[in-house]
Amino acid sequence: MYELRQVDKHFPGVHALKAVDFKVNRHEIVGLVGENGAGKSTLMKVIYGAYQPDGGDVLIDGTVVRFQNPRMAMDHGIGMVFQEQSLILNLTVMENIFLGYEQQFVKLGVIDWKAMSEAARRQLAKVKLDIDPAMTTSDLSFAQRQLVELAKVLTLEERIDGDLVILLDEPTSVLAQEEVELLFSLVRDLTKRASFIFVSHRMEEVLELSDRIYVMKDGAVVDVVAHDGADKDAIQHKMVGRDVDKEYYREQKQKPYDEDKVLVRFDGVSSGNRYTDISFALHPGEVLCLVGTEGSGREAILRTIFGLETPTKGQVTIKGETISRFTAQNGVKLGVGYTPRERKIEGIVAGMNVYENMTLSQMGNYASAGVLKVNEEKSLARTWIERLGIKTPDVYKDCGGLSGGNQQKVVLAKWRSAGADIMLLDHPTRGLDIGAKEDVYEMIREMCAAGVGVVLVADTLEEAIGLSHTIIVLKDGAFQKRFDGKPGSKPSLYDLVHHMI
Amino acid sequence: MSFERIKPHFPWITLVVLILIVGIANPSFFDPAGLLTLVSDVVPLFIMALGMTFAIYIGGIDLSVQQLANLVTVIATVYLAEFGIAVAVIAIVAGFAIGVISGFVTTRLYVPSFVSTLAMGFVALSAAKFLSGQRALYMDAELRDASFGWMFGNTAGIPHELAIAVVLLVVAWFLQTRTTFGRALKAVGSGELAAIASGLNVDRVKILAFAISGVFAAIAGLLFSVKLSGGDANLANGFLLLAIVAVLVGGTPLTGGVGGVVNTAIGTLIVMVIRSAMVYLEIDATQQQMVFGIVLIAAIALTIDRSKLRGVVK
Amino acid sequence: MTDITAQSAPGARFLTRERIIKWTPLLVLVFLVLLFPFFEWLEDFGAGKEHMYLADSRFFSIRNAARIFIAATPALMVAIGVTFIIIMGSIDLSMEGTVSVCAVIFAFAFIGWGGTLASWAWLAIPVALLVGAALGFINGLVHVRLKIPSFMASLAMGFVGTGLALLLTGGDRIRVEDELFRSLLTVRWFNFPIMVYVAAVMLLIAWFIQSRTTLGRNFYAVGGGEELAHASGLNVNRVRIMGFTLAGVFFAVGALLAVGRIGIAETATGNNFMFVSITSVVVGGTALWGGIGGVWNTLVGVLIVNVINNGMVVIGLPNFLQDGVLGILVILAVVLSTDRKSVSFVK
Repeated sequence: MYELRQVDKHFPGVHALKAVDFKVNRHEIVGLVGENGAGKSTLMKVIYGAYQPDGGDVLIDGTVVRFQNPRMAMDHGIGMVFQEQSLILNLTVMENIFLGYEQQFVKLGVIDWKAMSEAARRQLAKVKLDIDPAMTTSDLSFAQRQLVELAKVLTLEERIDGDLVILLDEPTSVLAQEEVELLFSLVRDLTKRASFIFVSHRMEEVLELSDRIYVMKDGAVVDVVAHDGADKDAIQHKMVGRDVDKEYYREQKQKPYDEDKVLVRFDGVSSGNRYTDISFALHPGEVLCLVGTEGSGREAILRTIFGLETPTKGQVTIKGETISRFTAQNGVKLGVGYTPRERKIEGIVAGMNVYENMTLSQMGNYASAGVLKVNEEKSLARTWIERLGIKTPDVYKDCGGLSGGNQQKVVLAKWRSAGADIMLLDHPTRGLDIGAKEDVYEMIREMCAAGVGVVLVADTLEEAIGLSHTIIVLKDGAFQKRFDGKPGSKPSLYDLVHHMI
Repeated sequence: MSFERIKPHFPWITLVVLILIVGIANPSFFDPAGLLTLVSDVVPLFIMALGMTFAIYIGGIDLSVQQLANLVTVIATVYLAEFGIAVAVIAIVAGFAIGVISGFVTTRLYVPSFVSTLAMGFVALSAAKFLSGQRALYMDAELRDASFGWMFGNTAGIPHELAIAVVLLVVAWFLQTRTTFGRALKAVGSGELAAIASGLNVDRVKILAFAISGVFAAIAGLLFSVKLSGGDANLANGFLLLAIVAVLVGGTPLTGGVGGVVNTAIGTLIVMVIRSAMVYLEIDATQQQMVFGIVLIAAIALTIDRSKLRGVVK
Repeated sequence: MTDITAQSAPGARFLTRERIIKWTPLLVLVFLVLLFPFFEWLEDFGAGKEHMYLADSRFFSIRNAARIFIAATPALMVAIGVTFIIIMGSIDLSMEGTVSVCAVIFAFAFIGWGGTLASWAWLAIPVALLVGAALGFINGLVHVRLKIPSFMASLAMGFVGTGLALLLTGGDRIRVEDELFRSLLTVRWFNFPIMVYVAAVMLLIAWFIQSRTTLGRNFYAVGGGEELAHASGLNVNRVRIMGFTLAGVFFAVGALLAVGRIGIAETATGNNFMFVSITSVVVGGTALWGGIGGVWNTLVGVLIVNVINNGMVVIGLPNFLQDGVLGILVILAVVLSTDRKSVSFVK
């Protein structure tokens, strides 16, 4: 009933969707998998009307439709449950549920809050969530918000006579195991009324829930597998284009670290309610991976090491120096480099060019008496552009216009060229394509060989296992378990998940 | 040349077009002596706008400049007899201090600069009223000429005022483009979070930006005071909004990180041309303000580079 | 299942940080209202005079309250108008021009159509409101359609407004001397002039719009997350334009009250409204980045600013000090009512 035929989408310099054929039948759950950058999110945006395709057709029940905006898609029964929370936090739950569709509760220009509240309760009942619809959304937990999002999309049930297609974008990433199961049983229930498109990184979940699975790579659909014929390894092979093996994470280059020296030491460190009583040591040449769900305290620990967060208890020692003043300036001085997760916002400065970004953390080295030596900056940038194979026309290119992988390389070059030997990597491969990911993995190994200690928060568990010497599992800010990850005796996915939730 | 490539050049293209329109309508506009006078007259406004550029460049705003200039006119007039030319130092220190306090209140106390600088403006106004006894004060002509007469001479046909403006522009341009401070300003204006994550002392950069804004406002006030040979707690009134307009029309948007001091020079000239055009085109005095507003909307619509306004236009 | 719903939401506790911060502006107001009588008491005590705290206060009296309210009403109307805009995360700086234009057109129409409320001249009132709406509408159009940030668009529209008022009056003052219209100020019910009640009614209307209409709620949606609101199918541009139009209407009401108070309409009628109203909004706890606050906050903010102004006069603070003290108190009020944990950085 819902169909895409030969849909194309171009962005400046990128062919994001290449002649994609995609179909959803009634009462069906369709899985959509692919690496980051494979074109999943572009495809979803086309489906829910945020993007208009450059070529091809969108058909509903065989008729060609064209959505100018998400609202039009919604009016055709297509709803999106966003991965990044799309609820407006300062509004109440019911206002969020009916945002843009308040008119039904308006009598003589007045909103009937009681009627809206009752209607909201009915929607919340569909997702089995028993909360007061008049609550402010910011007071809800992440899991509750996820269910409210689903309830919001389910208002389409009453509004639309025809069929519904509901997109679920990574709906499980903030949920605990029981919550995931609840969500799945809900979705199965709802197939009586709606079809679903389910997008997730967690392959097991996609396999469990979906009737058919679309596999995407480089903007094209490379395979469609039926539930019964699905095999995890085969799908992964298709996604990546070859086997995901030890080679991928450069395990053969994983060398033992120097146990005698300590770069960073945490002794019973706590920071408010973000994490409590954390102890570990980072050695030169070591990749230490912090594993846990969203909000488990991983990022807060990184930010503490860098100096952006002041712990409330415990002792942090960097290169033998006990830290008393936590400032980023101090962190940089001690040779700490930080690659934040939000690359476009925190990593690079969009609007500044390549060399300006590269020297941003070390301007003092390229200036005398506050006056910049621009020629030295440029030659530094040229050196690193060559060394890391950064694809940019010249050093004057605005970093905001580089591809994700190249932006990441600029960020890494910034710290490496300044001689940082403690690197904090927060989701360093997030949103990168396979080639760029492998470049990052290669660089991590190179850094280790050069005696750099790396604290990593990985994008996927596979990545965490593949890259790390040491894994520390966190849950709700508390230490759970430490794993050693020598090549050949790495912990399994199951080992980690078991302790995470 | 594509449209995208022309966009950054819109401010000066707008300026040239405006000049041509006015000049064709009334060729006496091109009289060099008249033009020089026009440009010299706009110098205090320009200097104020130059300072304001730094505050706007980091994504903030400085609403204290007008009151600060008022205060400086009073300081200069009151203390000229006692300190002579050193009164300039007092003025600049006052501007710096008020800018630092504004910056401190903004960064450390989390008060938006819109409010903190406005409030500091009130403080400056109080000081000006106190020092002046709420009267208009006049400088002794001899003393003034002895200390600051050099500001208003002519060398080889170039008014000294204009030379001062050019020197300040060059200094500001050097600060913005060639120093670590200028680079840090750009980083804070374009991506504050990335600047923080690169270990920059963002608070210090911001405080300094407001301090520079204060210093330039003080210089503008000093010039103004010497020019009008007096001081008054209301002397510079009406300059604040014009200074903001000059910065914005030049192509430095309030979101920060884009544009800069050269843009402000162009913006000031645009404002000057629009204002003087109304004289040359003999627009009735009661209509001038409205025409100014309408032309301003057109000029802003033309000069702002919307692709650089990241995110939503608020 | 139980896991999800049983979690005690942080909002369930009674005295949370958020709640305390939410009420701070009111506490500041109460504190100030008690502070100025204290200074009076202190002075008389020092002079050895009999003085009972509050009871003998000149500041803490109905007569003075009326004075504060009269001074505050026009500013309150303007501030309410701009509150809606600030909730959306935008700003409106056109109020000085709009107030002047509305005042002047009202005065012309009023005098031209009979010069007294008892004639067809009362039509001048809806005309003034329409003019305010039209100016706001144009302001919104310029902002949304030409994609000019509201700061610049409204600033320029402010110039246009002031210019239009100047054009209409030619710089003259227009006196509105109709006794019936001036009864806004001269007739008192229960010690307060009618204009205070008019302002109160307008405040209730604003509160109604804010809390019970789709438009009002949509202001919060736009301020809380414009892109999200758009993705939910909200016509954000329409909300914005309607917001500026609504603000224009409130500016017009402010203009009417200002004329009623002074009995004169002129180009300068709008002077000083811009900074006072925005300061009041911020002092009341409505954040400049949008999404939080509301008209009650604005009421508290306007009262704080006016109480400070009035109180300084009553306790005899030297005139030259008053501006500076106001500035410092405004900073303090904003510092106290800002939730520092919820802001990452401020510009």
